[in-house]
Amino acid sequence: MSSVKANSNSVVQTQKLVDQLRVEAGMERIKISLTAADLVHYCQEHRRSDPLITGIAASSNPFKDKKTCVLL
Amino acid sequence: KTSFNCIFNVSFSLRFKPFRRRPLPAQRKYMRSPLTPEMATQEVQLNETLAHLKTESETLKSKLEEERAKLHDVELHQVAEKVEGLGQFVMKTRRTLKGHGNKVLCMDWCKDKRRIVSSSQDGKVIVWDAFTTNKEHAVTMPCTWVMACAYAPSGCAVACGGLDNKCSVYPLSLDKNENLAAKKKSVAMHTNYLSACSFTNSDMQILTSSGDGTCALWDVESGQLLQSFHGHAADVLCLDLAPSETGNTFVSGGCDKKANVWDMRSGQCIQSFETHESDINSVRYYPSGDAFASGSDDATCRLYDLRADREVAIYSKESIIFGVSSVDFSLSGRLLFGGYNDYTINVWDVLKGTRVSILFGHENRVSTLRVSPDGTAFCTGSWDHTLRIWA
Repeated sequence: MSSVKANSNSVVQTQKLVDQLRVEAGMERIKISLTAADLVHYCQEHRRSDPLITGIAASSNPFKDKKTCVLL
Repeated sequence: KTSFNCIFNVSFSLRFKPFRRRPLPAQRKYMRSPLTPEMATQEVQLNETLAHLKTESETLKSKLEEERAKLHDVELHQVAEKVEGLGQFVMKTRRTLKGHGNKVLCMDWCKDKRRIVSSSQDGKVIVWDAFTTNKEHAVTMPCTWVMACAYAPSGCAVACGGLDNKCSVYPLSLDKNENLAAKKKSVAMHTNYLSACSFTNSDMQILTSSGDGTCALWDVESGQLLQSFHGHAADVLCLDLAPSETGNTFVSGGCDKKANVWDMRSGQCIQSFETHESDINSVRYYPSGDAFASGSDDATCRLYDLRADREVAIYSKESIIFGVSSVDFSLSGRLLFGGYNDYTINVWDVLKGTRVSILFGHENRVSTLRVSPDGTAFCTGSWDHTLRIWA
């Protein structure tokens, strides 16, 4: 393989890299103070419906053992 | 290079990964053959173009870093200071699923919140009822190391694959005696091992990732390749689809330490993150779709914010030195569960960045971890041949 062909492959690869970087550079970005606030807000909003955080009663969680019955 | 170049690279180091290949080597310089005058000018032109492109790529890279740094005005845990802390967590193993004859490599929940599919090194794929621990179906694959498995949204089929380089779909029959292997449908074909697979919103399409460095979207019925995703420089180890409300994107992680976000329709990589120091074994979207978490062999989990286009949190401790194999969020996104190679599960407070709990139980590496669809429990699979349900 001649060095010309090797170089033209490098050119193609680097061109692809440059195109990709251009796409990424053109992206609209938002400050972390705003986006982080949204993440926190989402957690807080859905906190009550998260069984692993609020814990649900053993009777409604199919995986938790039900309390044993006592026969009187 | 043959695809089995590193298959017996048994180093017994902390990172035992027999099929992982090193990143592709840089271009080699070849012996120059005698140049004609035309070739000489051509070569000079190419070298000039190459030099220009390289300068441009360097400029773009620093510009990207600058832009990302500008937005780094605060840390996530600072924004979360006012959020109340989480209490004590008591999570225990509630069910142990025994039946695999070798390392469990992957598992997935059915949308009915009770069935689970799991796959193992011995080639077996088993469908379980997690409530009763009964096995409902079992299939023996023609290959060992079934590294990927997924449940179809309808609950009527499962997909799996591994060293056979394929992803096959098995329709699940109500008749327990029916031979599932007879109805098997080969959907995806890669040129190296299948590392992960996932159905999209329907039973009709499957997304796969492979040791050949690519991801691909396939039509299940025809087996046709609908879109391929090129950009990783080494094996792709994991993928996750964005929650359906947020549109047609997915994230992938690989041995090149990169996590890439892709547009499913165009095949374009729209964002790329490279802050991990080693292979990324697992990626999972935050429930809102605005962020994703990753777990890596560098013993850390990280959170990447898609709108700020940067890493916003690292979940690590000096005492944790073993790699993370698998991560998943609780329903609200407040908890991040990580399965580690030191046999434990660490539970992290996503907002505050602290560890909330550490869970013991498995007797070997935790290789896979998924929270159930309704968030009531999570399941782990391990090299100790078992799966455990925790709640």
